[in-house]
Amino acid sequence: MPGKWDWLKDELSGLSMLTKLPTMTKFLKGKISGPADMTKCSMCPNMCRHACPISIVDGKETTSPAGKSRIGMMIENDVLSLNQENLFPIYMCLSCGCCENWCPFNFSVSEILRPIKKRAIEKTIIYEEFADLFDDLRQKGTIYGEIEDEKNFSESGDVLYLRGCEFREEASEVIDKTMAVLDKVGSDPFVLSDEECCGIPAYNAGNIGLFKKLSETMSKKISETGAEKVVTSCPSCAYAYKELYPKFDQNIDAEISHIVEFLEKKEVKLDIEAVQDQFTYHEPCKLVNGLGKKDSMRNLLERSGLKVKKPRRHGEETFCCGSGGTTVPRLNEELSSEIAQERIQELKKLSDDIITSCPTCKQTFESLDEGVQVHDVAEIFDRFL
Amino acid sequence: MGLKEAMKRKDTGMVDKVIDKLSKSFEDDRISTRDTDLISYSHDYWPISLHWMLEDKFPSLPNAVIWPQNKEEVKEIVKWCYKGDVPIYPYGGGSGVLGAAVPERGGIVVDLKKMRSLDIDGDNLLVKAESGLNGYYLESRLNDEGYTMGNIPQSLYPSTVGGWVGTKATGQFSTKYGGIEEMLKGIEMVVPPGKILKLKPHPRTSTGPDLRELFVGAEGTMGIMTKGWFKIWPHPENRIKLSFISERLEDAVESVRKIMRRGAKPAVIRIYDKTETKRHFYEYEEIYNKIATVIIIEGDEEITEAERSIVEEEFVGEYKGEEPVDHWLETRFNVKEASEFVPMGVVFDTIEVAVNWSKAEGLYHNVIEAIKPIKGVLFASAHASHFYPQGICFYFTFAGAPPRKKDPESFYQQVWSEAMKAVLESGGTISHHHGVGRQRKDWLKEELGEGLEMLKKIKEKVDKKNIMNPGNLGL
Repeated sequence: MPGKWDWLKDELSGLSMLTKLPTMTKFLKGKISGPADMTKCSMCPNMCRHACPISIVDGKETTSPAGKSRIGMMIENDVLSLNQENLFPIYMCLSCGCCENWCPFNFSVSEILRPIKKRAIEKTIIYEEFADLFDDLRQKGTIYGEIEDEKNFSESGDVLYLRGCEFREEASEVIDKTMAVLDKVGSDPFVLSDEECCGIPAYNAGNIGLFKKLSETMSKKISETGAEKVVTSCPSCAYAYKELYPKFDQNIDAEISHIVEFLEKKEVKLDIEAVQDQFTYHEPCKLVNGLGKKDSMRNLLERSGLKVKKPRRHGEETFCCGSGGTTVPRLNEELSSEIAQERIQELKKLSDDIITSCPTCKQTFESLDEGVQVHDVAEIFDRFL
Repeated sequence: MGLKEAMKRKDTGMVDKVIDKLSKSFEDDRISTRDTDLISYSHDYWPISLHWMLEDKFPSLPNAVIWPQNKEEVKEIVKWCYKGDVPIYPYGGGSGVLGAAVPERGGIVVDLKKMRSLDIDGDNLLVKAESGLNGYYLESRLNDEGYTMGNIPQSLYPSTVGGWVGTKATGQFSTKYGGIEEMLKGIEMVVPPGKILKLKPHPRTSTGPDLRELFVGAEGTMGIMTKGWFKIWPHPENRIKLSFISERLEDAVESVRKIMRRGAKPAVIRIYDKTETKRHFYEYEEIYNKIATVIIIEGDEEITEAERSIVEEEFVGEYKGEEPVDHWLETRFNVKEASEFVPMGVVFDTIEVAVNWSKAEGLYHNVIEAIKPIKGVLFASAHASHFYPQGICFYFTFAGAPPRKKDPESFYQQVWSEAMKAVLESGGTISHHHGVGRQRKDWLKEELGEGLEMLKKIKEKVDKKNIMNPGNLGL
């Protein structure tokens, strides 16, 4: 079979050495050393614009995926200074990974731009909106600082359930229900009473030093439990433990699953005749794109016997709730809220009962005052199992 | 010109006053003079402007960028800019390849992407869309409701409806569905000095010259489109995929000419010359070094089966099944070349032109022969991708490395100049669907003759102060 570049070799073969040599050299050099991913992304006409919630809702070239890379390239080239104003568009990223699905190079814009955020943090160019977050993570180990009045759960068993900052602070009832579901499917769940944040908010904001510290802490704590199975409610936590920690030399031996992945493996049937077609669902971007579970949530619900209404944007085209990636809701609440509105209105056309599997998505939609009921997948399983 | 120099503008008195005026009505995040925004709108996807970006040059920096949310706001922008003689550049997806959206004289860029509502009217087979609506968003919404507009340019993902109309765009499925000019049934424009003009989406109207045509392909020089009504179709129930290989380009071209004469209208027909067949279908050994043709027929089952028969009867070539068509469908949005080659100093571009059947073969060879001998050119190739009973569109691609002592821009212009000369001498039109922009304006005189004078007179009447995208189309 001919190779990818054979056609070019054929074309060049008819040319004089004088013409082709400089280009061949450039071409080979380019193939070996670059161009840098950020430059490549900058040279794209935004072939993922349609998938980027920021780009669709904000509608600005500056915050489009390639637009952000272009700003990044200008900062790298010292055309633009590394300051908060110039960094702002770079932080307008939900880290949803939708761009990656459409990129011929499989680039994730949030990953491409992370070194610039890291450099900014290292040079203490830090938005005040991040300062409290970093302090809470550094000093208390959660994004909410000290979490008070927490219920006690078993601290030994065969499945370690990591509750995540969001449910611990904002929706402890989901924790109860997740523990109950894990129990119902035959596990003996337990928690880490001194659980800390997985670190992904720090990672999203570019504070790689803080992320490393948290990853070391949590990696050690998880390993010390001796658990062979770990379940999370938050897909970003699962993504951090499974995908990010190994990149920073933090390897956890246990099998890590998001609750959807965990339940998908169980043959569970729900008793739900009365509520068929009542619910629609919202797939969190970190589950779909981060963990690569493109259809897991729908599969889980349907295989369990629950017929759900499929939203227009689903699977790999799922649309972020607007609060993903840590930085946008903190720096641009209005944009975050516009994106959330775009999604909730789409879901509301199908049902006011929405199933999701991410604490952030749940909190975001509930806070919109749109009269919707947002259920974590564990709440549904607890109710109908 | 570097950023700091570009920022040191001469007299910006009136521009600043207009920006101040507009700042009173637009919130902070919808009007900007921030460096990051000005840089982001200093270019579109014109290869020359990509080189500027890589070389940290900013010859076309706007003074401000503004994001209106409705037609009344667009009206206000045009009104104030007209009063202050401030240039306006409407901006859609920025995927135009000829510099039509480059703010060459400074002024205000009006990005319409916050105007993105749509309304599907299935009974009348119409869709109403605001000009900033994303192309993919529109088509996927239509598909979900059981319709298609059939406008699928390679820029579907980044481009906007307003950009399609502004550049007189056409898509990969145009042989069946037509270009945007055939889809546009009604239009709403804001024209200088700040008036709203609406042409309703009648099925047909005999009420004097068709004013819609004044705005299709005007590339922002006649006003700002705020809304359009487009015809749509029920989503095709049947799709037939066919591919062929031929020994000679002429055989494939002649086959398609006969198919079109018989009234068949496949949605997609693409004929690749040998170089492009090798480039796009290298994984298919049997196809390599041949002339590949991929065809998609879609629509009503009975009609498509009849069209299939016509294609099979007329095509001179060996049938190669569905796989090459699937390969094309899977890879048709892989826009990688600029990312891979431009940063390495390679000058790369495409030139699309159209010509009547009787001159097609001559034009193809003349253009290839005009480009290839230019010092530094590495290859020149083409495919034919849009067909009419009267003729064909050829889409040429070239790449080269500027020879020593020649800068990329002069090399690029030399190739363009030779190609345009060859097209005109061969009896073709200098553009099929990318438009004119700033790149092709110098050849418009030869293309339009007295028509250009007429166009200038119309422009003078519509936009006396020449604030609407001044310099574009040579106006």
